Amino acid sequence: MMREGFCPPSFLMHCGWTMLRIQNLTKVYPSGTKALNDVSFEVKDGEFLVVIGLSGSGKSTLLRCINRLIEPTEGKIFWDDTDITAASPSDLLKIRRHIGMVFQQFNLVKRSSVMTNVLSGRLGYVNPWLSLLGIWSPSDRQRALKALERVGIADKAGSRADALSGGQQQRVGIARALMQEPRIVLADEPVASLDPVLSHSILQYLEQLNKEGMTVLCSLHFLDLVHRYATRVIALKDGVKVFEGLPSEIDRAKFKEIYGEEAQEVRAASFEAPA
Amino acid sequence: MNHNDYSRSSAPFAVILSLLLPGLGHLYLKRWYRGIAILLAAAVLSGIVVWYGRPIWYFAPAGVWLWNAWDAARLAKGKGAPILIPVLFGLAAAYGIGWHMVGVDFRSASMERAAAVIRPMLHPDMFQKRQELNRMWTPIYVPCSTTETVPAARREENGKVAFVTPDCAGVLEAAIVSVSGMWPDTDTIIWWETNIGDDKPLGGNEDRPLVVRTDENGSLATLIHVPSTVLIAQPDPTLMLEHRVYFDQYRPLGGIELSTNGGYVLKGIAESVTMALMATTLAIFLAIPISFLAARNLMGGNPITFAVYVLVRTILNFVRSIEALIIAIVFVIIVGLGPFAGVLALTIHSVAALAKLYSEVIEGIDPGPIEAIRATGGNWLQVVRYGVTPQIIPPFTAFTIYRWDINVRSSIVIGMVGGGGIGFYLIQWIQINQMGAVGAAFIAIALVVITLDYMSAKVREKLA
Repeated sequence: MMREGFCPPSFLMHCGWTMLRIQNLTKVYPSGTKALNDVSFEVKDGEFLVVIGLSGSGKSTLLRCINRLIEPTEGKIFWDDTDITAASPSDLLKIRRHIGMVFQQFNLVKRSSVMTNVLSGRLGYVNPWLSLLGIWSPSDRQRALKALERVGIADKAGSRADALSGGQQQRVGIARALMQEPRIVLADEPVASLDPVLSHSILQYLEQLNKEGMTVLCSLHFLDLVHRYATRVIALKDGVKVFEGLPSEIDRAKFKEIYGEEAQEVRAASFEAPA
Repeated sequence: MNHNDYSRSSAPFAVILSLLLPGLGHLYLKRWYRGIAILLAAAVLSGIVVWYGRPIWYFAPAGVWLWNAWDAARLAKGKGAPILIPVLFGLAAAYGIGWHMVGVDFRSASMERAAAVIRPMLHPDMFQKRQELNRMWTPIYVPCSTTETVPAARREENGKVAFVTPDCAGVLEAAIVSVSGMWPDTDTIIWWETNIGDDKPLGGNEDRPLVVRTDENGSLATLIHVPSTVLIAQPDPTLMLEHRVYFDQYRPLGGIELSTNGGYVLKGIAESVTMALMATTLAIFLAIPISFLAARNLMGGNPITFAVYVLVRTILNFVRSIEALIIAIVFVIIVGLGPFAGVLALTIHSVAALAKLYSEVIEGIDPGPIEAIRATGGNWLQVVRYGVTPQIIPPFTAFTIYRWDINVRSSIVIGMVGGGGIGFYLIQWIQINQMGAVGAAFIAIALVVITLDYMSAKVREKLA
């Protein structure tokens, strides 16, 4: 199953350990829609696991069940050996702060500054009362600036979030996730709102983080991006897991199985991604 | 028999029916909607013209009546007559009668009356030259008593002496008033104050101030007549009472100062702006909780909360449709004249207006940031502080400032029905024809409204 060399050398110690175990996960919305149906898989430390599938196949629901932004109906999710689905509200907050999240629509507070948006990634760690007053320690501000530097937009710290371009906003989103010092980043269609060139630049930041040891669980639309960035792939169709394996194993027949007979592959970009 | 043959053969009959009653021929031709529409339109138009009672306007329903017969004839042959014609008849009657009803009459405009109102307004009574007043007065007894001894009508103060000869006098009788120790070679205004404090001019035909110049020693003596109206308010006109004669001298001090009415203008403006501020502030506290009940995204979940939502929305729409001015008239009766009545009226209206605007902000909130803050491990309060508040505070503030701006304008009008503020003074100045003060009030109102309008626009621009 494992592609040779996907473990970053610096992280060999942990590499291959199961970080997240999803068991028989099912989600039924009050409207009766069955978004997830008995999905089970594991996420290993250090991998870049990509979830693919059509719109409405349950990718977003799956990612949101992991940090319980959406309550699963049935099934268990183990974070190391802790059952997230059974965690008390206060334990859940502590677990969440180790799980960074990046969103398709960036989910920034548009009227707030970039700095405030990034600092808010630190909320799980700081004194709640000081944070309610908007007081942040110098070390947290320093950390926020470093996070912005890592995504290359430290000069935008004082700008309003909505003054930035889409690609820059998503980089703020990544910086906000970095503030959590996460062990895993859940990325829900992080490039679906961006044009193809920007898609590569955003995914390269995630790839860089992955090479430094961060586990990434990412949902994607375009198959060429999957081939380029994923170390492993799972595919959902109507809430059911229909494939789990290496990107190279998705051939034409598998593609038709996942996306349906009518589907034609669309490439994110006609040119190769810059290395 | 096909449709066309049937129609053609019945054309004269349809015309006769339509001449009998508008639309009847159309009904006979099975043109139901057209027939009923013509019947209703002709009935309404005839009703209005008959009610208004001027025979000249009968041409409109008559025209429609004739057109209707023509239309029936044309319809019987296929295509009807142009609908624009009866519409024009209807509009001609509506505008013609409307013109008379609102009494448009440019001949009633009088340039003289316009000038009498506007000219003093062009000299706004806001500031005056600073001047020093040198005042002296002496008692005078009116009328002369037959039983009591008359005290001396004489008074001394700071080296100034004033007296009247004789000490008492009846209405319209003459007396000589004298004063010494005043400023030399200075115009002195001499006027009468009755025992109950009424001012009476002593010059001309009791309608102009009496002005006499002091000599080089600061003294003067002049003949006056006791004004005819000094005993008007007195129950017993034979009772001798003390009245006063005043001597006023003015000397410029250089510079200008606020006039008395100017002071009232400032006081009124401050009161109006404060009324608006108080009303807006009270309204914020009441509108915020209500706005949550009026937000569809929060209340749409189950039938009970949705019923509350519909009820709250309906009440808000109802209250908002009542002008603050009307609410103020009610509160003036309940709590009495003054700014408090105005504040209550403005508050009620503002709550309804703000709650609707706030609820729309809440409905438009982006759930994305809330989700993002939850994902970072933030607790409920942190989610509200970092995910919700930044989204709603700027639009709330913008709407609130805009409301304050509107309330300042409203409070000016509300003053006119007794709700306090500049409007309260304004309506009184208009009634006692103090058009100079009215002019000053107009300028002050315009300045305040323009300034607030500009500032609120700037702030809202920043917050957008």
